Amino acid sequence: MLKMHNIRKSYRTDTIETHALRDFSLEVNEGEFVSVTGPSGSGKTTFLNIAGLLETPTGGQYLLDGQEVGNLSDRERSHLRNEKIGFIFQGFNLIPDLSLFDNIDVPLRYRGFNAKERRRRIEKSLEQVGLSARAKHLPAQLSGGQQQRVAIARALAGEPRFLLADEPTGNLDSLMARQVMELLEFINQWGTTIVMVTHDPDLARRAHRNIQIVDGQVSDLRQNIAADEAAIA
Amino acid sequence: MLELRPILSALWRHKISALLIALQLGLTLAIVSNASVVIQEREERIARPTGIAEADIVTAHFMPIPKDYDLLEAFRLDMDMIRQLPGVAAATISRAPLAGSGSSGGFHTKPHQEVGSTGAAFFSGDEHFIDALGMKLVAGRNFTPSEIRIMESSSSERPTITIITQQLADTLFPEGNALGKSLYFGGDDNPMEIVGIVERNLGPWPNSSVAGNTVFFPAIMETQWYDYIVRAEPGQRDAVLKLLEEKMAERDAERVIEVKTLTEQKTRYYAGDNTMIKVLTGVVSLLTFIVALGIVGLTVFWITQRQKQIGVRRALGATRTAISRYFLLENLMIAATGVALGTAAAQIFNQFLASEFGQPALPLSTTLVCAFILLAVSLTSALVPALRAANISPAMATRSV
Ligand SMILES: Nc1ncnc2c1ncn2[C@@H]1O[C@H](COP(=O)(O)OP(=O)(O)OP(=O)(O)O)[C@@H](O)[C@H]1O
Ligand SMILES: [Mg+2]
Repeated sequence: MLKMHNIRKSYRTDTIETHALRDFSLEVNEGEFVSVTGPSGSGKTTFLNIAGLLETPTGGQYLLDGQEVGNLSDRERSHLRNEKIGFIFQGFNLIPDLSLFDNIDVPLRYRGFNAKERRRRIEKSLEQVGLSARAKHLPAQLSGGQQQRVAIARALAGEPRFLLADEPTGNLDSLMARQVMELLEFINQWGTTIVMVTHDPDLARRAHRNIQIVDGQVSDLRQNIAADEAAIA
Repeated sequence: MLELRPILSALWRHKISALLIALQLGLTLAIVSNASVVIQEREERIARPTGIAEADIVTAHFMPIPKDYDLLEAFRLDMDMIRQLPGVAAATISRAPLAGSGSSGGFHTKPHQEVGSTGAAFFSGDEHFIDALGMKLVAGRNFTPSEIRIMESSSSERPTITIITQQLADTLFPEGNALGKSLYFGGDDNPMEIVGIVERNLGPWPNSSVAGNTVFFPAIMETQWYDYIVRAEPGQRDAVLKLLEEKMAERDAERVIEVKTLTEQKTRYYAGDNTMIKVLTGVVSLLTFIVALGIVGLTVFWITQRQKQIGVRRALGATRTAISRYFLLENLMIAATGVALGTAAAQIFNQFLASEFGQPALPLSTTLVCAFILLAVSLTSALVPALRAANISPAMATRSV
């Protein structure tokens, strides 16, 4: 599904150059649920941005769904994001001026679906996250957990193969965090590949596989949580 | 796909600032379209055909005229001299049209009438006057040399024939048979037969209600209210002007000679109109500039406010084009609202101006042209910010707080 080889990413300002990712290699298989942990500033978000085609790497190779994406134009990358990738953000990132219905509609319009198809998908995804009754509400009228569920509905409406989440539970209390996590697990069971950055070790452990990023590199590739726990025991 | 409905519902959440800018645009349209119609009217006034070869005409006048001075003799000697000058096509003694001073009176088609007169300006001149002014005789004939009365200041002789403009002929004789008919001046009973009709002459006051109604008498009068009217061959006007001044001084060195081009006198006559045009053009430009600034400001402000949202839209699959298009469509909606309000306001404003100040009526087409221009100005103002918004990185979605 996702294959990164020797990805490098550096940010250059006038005075300093930050190497956010160095010789970063990783493979994520179709249908996997991978959690990503690591200290603050280690490069987790940078990795997710490159994986989600929000940023371009400084060097290295990235294959998404078997396709080399390094040389794609901005337009092609936009279309790929729209069709294959769903995003869930820590801050929900719903558009405050639009109703829930219209928020979910945003990526569907960019996809070019007709009105009927968009309505069908919006209603279906709102139902999946249990918020059908609130379609006309504004984001501000919802709790944080509800907003994140809408954001998930928005990510799901386009039926992406690949879901990227950057600390999706970071702004939620533990009960709501668990609900969101359950929703993600449910989605994963239906075949969507998920990569989730989290600071919560309990949630990280619930993924199939946890990778740790330290100082811009995968510190322990293929670290298996189960094996890890067995070793402790 | 155009996202009109979501843009509209997002705009609805910012309706106050959107409405304010729309109102500013509407007000600008109301003022600009009313100003344009005035500008247009003034320009048409200045540009309308005068019926004379104004660009080739030079006028001359001399002062002082001492007591016992034989003015009629001076006229005769000057004319003989001027008509011989190189570059001179024709010359007469009359008064300069388009210059803002002259004579006018009421004319009738029957004797002894007191009411219902038609106002017209009148000039005297010899048989050279049509040629000297470069006018076109469209019916009848010119005066003959023997018909020209040389009138001393004490004379009370009345002219018996006249040449009038087509416009006056049409006004007095709507059936179109003016030639051979008689004209009466004031309430008197002296008939003046219309022997010729010239195509057009606006008279001394092109902005007045009598403009275009003009009567010519066959006379050279002993009066200090005269102008030598000299038409130069095409392209010779400035040379003739110089020569005229020189030769008139040569013939009689005692007098102070004043020579002017007719263009110069016409420009002076229209100075007020020209000032009005300049002031209104300035107002129109300034208002348009201010409205453009307002739109640039608001667009930049909204884009800055929505940076995060733009990043999120990019992350969700918006192309750069889609982002720019969003802001241009948003701008277009605000501008269209403003222009719609402005079109109505322009008409109301115009009705007020028409009833209070007698301003010309505002045709809808003028408002629509102005509206179209303002829409274009609005879109152009939003263009640069909208294109720059497209450069906001999709990483904004995950990076900013
Ligand atoms: N736009 C940028 N310009 C300069 N440096 C940047 C930029 N974005 C990220 N960095 C730097 O790159 C490094 C990795 O940042 P990143 O956001 O990927 O860390 P993270 O692991 O997501 O941290 P956190 O857990 O705090 O979210 C950091 O040192 C950060 O300061
Ligand atoms: Mg981060």
